[in-house]
Amino acid sequence: MEVTPAVQIDHLVKDFPSPFRKSKVRAVDDVSLTIMPGEVYGLIGPNGSGKSTTMKALLGLLAPTAGSCHVFGKNSMKTDSRQEIGFLPENPYFYKHLSGEETLRFYAKLCGMRGKEVKSRVEEMLEMVSLQDARKRRLGGYSKGMLQRIGLAQALIHAPRLLILDEPTAGVDPVGSRLIRDLIVGLKGRGVTIFLCSHLLEQVQEVCDNVGIIFNGKIVKEGKLAELIAIESQTEVVIKNASPRTLARIRDVISESQSAEFVREGKPKTTLERIFLEEARKSDADNGPPPPEEPAPPTATQPQEKGDPHA
Amino acid sequence: MRRNGFFSPARISVIAGHTFTQLVRMKVFYFLVVFALLMLATSFFEMPWSRVTEDSAEQELIILKSTAMGAMAMFSALFAIAATALLIPKDLEDRTLYTILSKPVPRLDYLLGKLVGVLMLVAVSLLLMDALLTVILHFRTEELLAAEMEKGKGLGWPQQYLDIRREAISQQGVTWDLQAGIAAIFFKAMIMASIALLISTFSSSTLFTIVIAVVIYFIGHFTADARNYWLHSQKEGVSKEIKFLSQSAALIFPDFQLYNVIDATIEGKKINSGIISRLAVLALFYSGIYSVLAWFTFRKKEF
Repeated sequence: MEVTPAVQIDHLVKDFPSPFRKSKVRAVDDVSLTIMPGEVYGLIGPNGSGKSTTMKALLGLLAPTAGSCHVFGKNSMKTDSRQEIGFLPENPYFYKHLSGEETLRFYAKLCGMRGKEVKSRVEEMLEMVSLQDARKRRLGGYSKGMLQRIGLAQALIHAPRLLILDEPTAGVDPVGSRLIRDLIVGLKGRGVTIFLCSHLLEQVQEVCDNVGIIFNGKIVKEGKLAELIAIESQTEVVIKNASPRTLARIRDVISESQSAEFVREGKPKTTLERIFLEEARKSDADNGPPPPEEPAPPTATQPQEKGDPHA
Repeated sequence: MRRNGFFSPARISVIAGHTFTQLVRMKVFYFLVVFALLMLATSFFEMPWSRVTEDSAEQELIILKSTAMGAMAMFSALFAIAATALLIPKDLEDRTLYTILSKPVPRLDYLLGKLVGVLMLVAVSLLLMDALLTVILHFRTEELLAAEMEKGKGLGWPQQYLDIRREAISQQGVTWDLQAGIAAIFFKAMIMASIALLISTFSSSTLFTIVIAVVIYFIGHFTADARNYWLHSQKEGVSKEIKFLSQSAALIFPDFQLYNVIDATIEGKKINSGIISRLAVLALFYSGIYSVLAWFTFRKKEF
């Protein structure tokens, strides 16, 4: 049986009128992409490249000048297509007068949920984003990271099959950023299709299966992330506790080979983010349990393995 | 999977309830304190000795009602215009509109939810002001009646004349006709809110929406006079085109003179229930027209 794509964008074109010119500004130029169910797709590009316009067309907030967008086979301009979509905009400012719990209840009811279903779903979402202790606090008092997490919770309140994220970690500190990334990885594990727009390349590289690069409204490169970033002619070997003698022998073996060539040798480097998170974790351990509104990232989902500073 | 109809009363009520909460938490009810102070100040007002006439008691009650109803009309119209003009641009500026419209929410539901929420606030405000007016007016009427009866008995008025005076003063007190006048104030606010809603769907600033809505409000108060004057000044009779033009203008600019029953209720006149029903139908008609036009503009709006 043929599987319906989660997202199908066909030859999307979007023009905007220019205030002082007769000609229009083309924000998106013949973009086509397909995302299958369960995939995590990252659309990367600089500011003003057409990422947000593509996303808004997919959400029905903009009407395509030409081409079409479909979500699980439904035209994105139809209200029904949004039943399958959860959306977190960049830097969302929710209603500050509502508490976290009230915000989730409001969005749940908008999605047609009622009674016990709302209550249980709100509980589930607050637990997922670790905001149970801040549930009664008004959003006006939330930190940036907490706002982003409540935003993620509202996006997922109706259990959508497709999650659209616009710069989900923009302006969030590394700890909050890691937590959001962990949530995305968790959702991917549960089979949720994710369409992520970002210009933070490292973030995209960590979570995406497929990537599209957009410049001046055109997709210039697209494909599986693993294939795009691999240097096919080279092989990387990381050795732990190797003595100078062992390394010398390895170099000799390589030089004996007719086709292989030794390229470089050196100490792999860790990342500044990893050092920051490690220190944050130590600090939390010294000061007791982390505060509920900004809990430390769960270590179980850290991609770094013991003794593997590259990971 | 849930099916999403073209129009969902349940979803409209969710948005309306939220809009009401939003406005309440913006502390808009503080104006009620101003209203209460105004009422208390007016209730202590007494006709100057130099102007005391036979109907001074009625005049005092009329002044009280006139001040209260004037304030109610002003506050409700101002609320209806300002709150409606503020809400949609604020949602857009804060990007909360994205999170709402990216849910399965038809744009008509969003617009009607906002409108109903504002009208709920206007209705609750009017009810609170009405309650305050009713209480103060009741006690003031009783007080003036007692004083008038005492004065009459002292002057040896016959019972028949005392009854006439009692009837005349009571007619200026708390009556159902007065409630009909307050209902007419609500109908006017309802029309103004839907006009502001229509303007805010294409306006790029809240200030523009408020200014245009206020201009329409004033035009609406003398549109009927202007139309009558113009039509009667056409010496060679009224052509079909001119009649159509005049009817179109009447559709764009509602005739608020029809709501002058408010003045009649202040003067203590009896209001036929048929008139209030007709005013309610007219308010629904105008609000319906403006809401449909607002939806027509908003349904294809790009964000």
